[in-house]
Amino acid sequence: MEAFNNLMYGFSIALEPINILYVFAGVFAGTIIGMLPGLGPISALALMIPLTFGMEPSSGLILMAGVYYGAIFGGSTSSILLNAPGVAGTVATSFDGYPMAKQGMAGKALAIAAYASFIGGTVSIIFLMLVAPLLGRVAVSFGPAEYFSLMVLGLTAVVSLSDKSLIKGLIAAVVGVMISIMGIDLQTGTERFTFGTVHLLDGIDFLVVALGIFALTEVFFMLLRGGGGKEQPRNAIGSLKLSKSEVKEIAAPIGRSSILGFFTGVLPGAGATIGSFLGYSMEKRLAKDGDTFGKGNIKGVAAPESANNAACTGSFVPLLTLGVPGSGSTAVLLGALLVMGVSPGPAMLVDRPDVFWGVVASMYLGNIFLLVLNLPLIPLIAKILDMPRPLLLSLILIFCMLGVYGMSFSVFDLLLLLGFGLLGLGMRLFGFPAAPLILALILGDIMEESMRRALQISGGDWSIFIDKPISMWLLIIAALSLTLPLIKRMMARRSV
Amino acid sequence: MTRLNSNQVIALLLALLSVGYLAMAWQIPSFPLPRPIDSDLFPKVLGFTLLGLSVLLFLEKPKAKDVPEALDPNELQQPLLLRPWARVVVTAIALALYALLLVPVGFVLTSVALVFGLAAYYGYRRHWVNLATALGVVLGLYLTMTRIMGVYLPTGVLPI
Repeated sequence: MEAFNNLMYGFSIALEPINILYVFAGVFAGTIIGMLPGLGPISALALMIPLTFGMEPSSGLILMAGVYYGAIFGGSTSSILLNAPGVAGTVATSFDGYPMAKQGMAGKALAIAAYASFIGGTVSIIFLMLVAPLLGRVAVSFGPAEYFSLMVLGLTAVVSLSDKSLIKGLIAAVVGVMISIMGIDLQTGTERFTFGTVHLLDGIDFLVVALGIFALTEVFFMLLRGGGGKEQPRNAIGSLKLSKSEVKEIAAPIGRSSILGFFTGVLPGAGATIGSFLGYSMEKRLAKDGDTFGKGNIKGVAAPESANNAACTGSFVPLLTLGVPGSGSTAVLLGALLVMGVSPGPAMLVDRPDVFWGVVASMYLGNIFLLVLNLPLIPLIAKILDMPRPLLLSLILIFCMLGVYGMSFSVFDLLLLLGFGLLGLGMRLFGFPAAPLILALILGDIMEESMRRALQISGGDWSIFIDKPISMWLLIIAALSLTLPLIKRMMARRSV
Repeated sequence: MTRLNSNQVIALLLALLSVGYLAMAWQIPSFPLPRPIDSDLFPKVLGFTLLGLSVLLFLEKPKAKDVPEALDPNELQQPLLLRPWARVVVTAIALALYALLLVPVGFVLTSVALVFGLAAYYGYRRHWVNLATALGVVLGLYLTMTRIMGVYLPTGVLPI
């Protein structure tokens, strides 16, 4: 009953005309950016931050959340039509979506993706509504030691679940923490790594790094890979209608993958990409016609699409209840919230219920908007894919520059942005994951502060981190998350 | 002498970086009042961790995905300024110039020049559409930021 009352309160916020407009604008922009190959939800979110300057925090988060799940939703369109996933979370959708498009069933594949995403998103909002407050209550008992260990876990989970080298992931995370502690140490007032310039006294803003290593790097990478002026051919879309037997066929996979996706999203570091792959492989194993997966099976589109949208909503649980983002995208969202003066965490449910419940309620609306957008407007929206790439790239550059300048009014930050764009390109070319860096950048100084506060309480005794049971278990899980992939790899080598 | 692989070159650079970082960490002044841990401890831990990781990276063999893919040979046949790396370098220089000229010349002029110039350089040949889009988007952004959101953007040589 309490959850229902809270949800009604949330709707009173989400249904304000301006917030309805923000939900619509968010999911629309997200859908379009998600469709564009190469521009993922992180770039979309980073590009949107300047627009939230001066907004009410609940409205800002409503807009940003809309962009996030809209981008995951929109990514399926380019996956299906072009076999070019705009978002990593929709890679699995292309396995069967693109073969369907080649067989002249693109409309059907897009419609299945839209229905599956809608149901996946809606089911996981219900879970979010029920699980988040419970988790929030547990989190209230967290002290600095537990927070430090939780942040260590968040970082190691993101590093270990990346498909790139573990060592490179850890290096990216350490560099991220190094960047985060630049500037004046708030506890002692000491300057650290400012190189004697006043521009670095406040440290480096996360937006500079996020726009640099995601959006700008993406542009550089497209230029390097010959994306400058090339356009890809597009297939005919065909009918969007589903028969009764097809609806029956996809109902169970959508249900299963929605639940699986939500819980994958809740785990720090997992998120939409892993959720969609897990959903896809689970259905492939369960299906009697598993051998037709990869050749245009409708269940192969329904499962990953419901899982990735459910995971996207699930990832809001650790963000909003613990204040710990579990992925690069939610790290950017956390940064945006901090810019707006809201600190997500256990206290947010009590202090800012308008933000939490407003966003939850807006997600219901957003999912309906997405369905409305993606069904009748599919043929129209897909035309955006025809936008000349050269024009698109130069516009993205202006958005990045304006985003940074509008926040800091500093030419120095614009040059830093360029530097991070080039650093991101180097990282991408040599297999360094960017998500641990951005996550570490956001968590680094909070992590140090929690560590120092915990040691202040214990009088400098480091055993405080293992004397407290929650902290100890979090550290054990963090250590396991790093060592298990190594052990698995060693066992796999032995069995060969 | 055996040639170093990409991981080893990066590892050496990172090791140098971590040594420099540690040297700077040792110069962080102590807080006058005694505290369980001071401002320098965390940076020192980070510096040593990065040094350790660079040793591990030196020993790790690069996988196929850790080495940049070969560029399209057709792209490499193009005139020097249109080759893939040249596109990145020219874009970076254009952005650096944009940053330096933004305040003296103004947001509208520099931004229109950047959008129009880079789109034309990347190969967009419909110049009127390009100019109209650049003007429309930049003016739209300028008016939204300055008139609606109250964010100041440099006017430069233009009177608005």
